[in-house]
Amino acid sequence: MSDDAAIETHGLTRIFRRRWRGGEVRAVDGVTLRVERGTSFGLLGPNGAGKTTFVKLLLGIVTPTAGSARLLGVDFRRPEARQAVGYLPENHRLPSYWTAAGLLDFAGALSGMDPGARRRRIPELLELVGLREWADVRLSRYSKGMLQRLGLAQALIHSPALLFLDEPTDGVDPVGRQQIRAILRELEERGVTVFVNSHLLGEVEMFCREVAIMDHGRIVASGKVKDLTAGKGYRLTAARVPEAAFEELRALAVTAAYRDGLAEFQFRTREEVNRAVDLVRAQGGWLESIIPTSSTLEEVFMRTVRAEAGEETR
Amino acid sequence: MSARQAWALVRDTVREAGARWVFWGFYGLSTALILFFLFLLRIDVIEGARATVTLFGETSPRAVPVERLVRGFQGAVAAFLYVAGMGLAIFASAGLMAAVVEPGRIEWLLSKPLPRTRLLLWRFAGNVLLVCVNVSYLVVGVWLILGSKTGIWDKSFLVAALTTTFMFVVLLSVVTLAVVLTGSAVLATMVAFALMVVSPLLAQHRLMVKLLDSEFWRDVWRFLYYVLPKVFEVGKINMDLLRGRPVESWMPVWSSALFAAVVLTLALVLFARRSY
Ligand SMILES: Nc1ncnc2c1ncn2[C@@H]1O[C@H](COP(=O)(O)OP(=O)(O)OP(=O)(O)O)[C@@H](O)[C@H]1O
Ligand SMILES: [Mg+2]
Repeated sequence: MSDDAAIETHGLTRIFRRRWRGGEVRAVDGVTLRVERGTSFGLLGPNGAGKTTFVKLLLGIVTPTAGSARLLGVDFRRPEARQAVGYLPENHRLPSYWTAAGLLDFAGALSGMDPGARRRRIPELLELVGLREWADVRLSRYSKGMLQRLGLAQALIHSPALLFLDEPTDGVDPVGRQQIRAILRELEERGVTVFVNSHLLGEVEMFCREVAIMDHGRIVASGKVKDLTAGKGYRLTAARVPEAAFEELRALAVTAAYRDGLAEFQFRTREEVNRAVDLVRAQGGWLESIIPTSSTLEEVFMRTVRAEAGEETR
Repeated sequence: MSARQAWALVRDTVREAGARWVFWGFYGLSTALILFFLFLLRIDVIEGARATVTLFGETSPRAVPVERLVRGFQGAVAAFLYVAGMGLAIFASAGLMAAVVEPGRIEWLLSKPLPRTRLLLWRFAGNVLLVCVNVSYLVVGVWLILGSKTGIWDKSFLVAALTTTFMFVVLLSVVTLAVVLTGSAVLATMVAFALMVVSPLLAQHRLMVKLLDSEFWRDVWRFLYYVLPKVFEVGKINMDLLRGRPVESWMPVWSSALFAAVVLTLALVLFARRSY
């Protein structure tokens, strides 16, 4: 039953032509993807990977160059495909002359809800995102985090079966993030399909069950978060590591990077990390920490994207 | 469901207009004119069909026929509305049309389950409604005041509301197309203003055809004249109707309407295909 999928795409492609410099950008490049109903799905990728364009294609905001897609079994070119779909755009600018209650009412009406249903739903949602006291205040006086929470609320107004969130925690403080995460959990329990675009790996890892990694418009890895992150290792951080030693360790490590003035390495085995400790000490470096890790999505992400980049330079 | 969406879009347009000072200025100007006729201008009807006018304590030295007086005032209001009122309406509306395609808002609107054409068309309609209500408010207000002060109820003045709204719709189509193409309210305003300014010139096509010496330029001139909206000539028809004069030709009206239909259709088609 192919209608069972929440999202189904075949060779979805969008090529942007650069008007001045010539040439073209393959923002989304032949993406074939299937997201089952009730899944929480994360699309990860570096800046400019094509995540936003992919979602905009599905919602009919950007027109495709090639390919097809279905949302909840309906052809994505038909407006009805968006009936049971909620969307929180990246960098949205919701009309600031509305109050929170007014905006939710407007959004509900556009989704076809009758006035009675809107009246019942609005206070519920404002409570959910913690904006009840702000119901009658114009958006022009909201902070960025509040706007983001309201953006989430408007996406939920008509109780959608499929939810697209593009960088949902952008500009939200840690407490707000925790709340958003809790809301998403609850939605998942109710069987809502949630599709999250993010470059915040930790967040996708914590919330999503399935993940795909996108780079240069293509899906370069996908699977269950569980499977992708399987594998253990150790993370070593050290200070004052000379350049030569750093290069030597890089060859040994899965990943190597400088972060906050410290060198950070990921090793697969206990033997490797011990060898690395010897090397750091012998070269006059200072150990900061050694932490056992279960391979994080970040490593998978860095590995995949870097492998892609390597292939291209060759 | 589509009626619900339509109503929501119109309400959104009115709400946004309420948050912009130009619209308040627009309505304020109408109110100021109405108040002027209501309180500042005194008309004393004497000897039956003649009247004197008193303004700021100064009374006109000669009594003129009441009917001519009323027609004079109505003509001034109609002309003011058609030129200054229209300019202000375009200026205010261009901002309102461009707001729809603002980055960050358009993506959100387009994600809602309704066809794109409807989204744009109902904002257009909301805009026309705002202007139509204001124009009617001014015209009917002035008509009532002058009528009650002089006893002359000349219905032909009410046509001014219709002609002004008609030409506004024509120019708003151009604004809509410009906004869809460029997203810029300033540019859209400029294009509409340019059409207003150029129309009295183009209207001289009979004279120009004699003056221009190349057949090519004569054709260009004729082409522009027949294609572009005839703001000037519809304005003249407006005055003719007001004065009870016969209208020479309705061609300026229907050709402008045709222009609007084509331009608006083009705007909708392009809007339906664009990526945001
Ligand atoms: N309207 C457009 N015209 C031309 N190029 C575009 C357009 N929109 C996006 N692009 C290009 O397409 C590519 C993908 O952009 P997109 O916004 O989808 O990336 P993203 O993965 O969402 O990035 P980020 O994490 O920064 O949000 C980029 O190279 C971008 O420059
Ligand atoms: Mg993005």
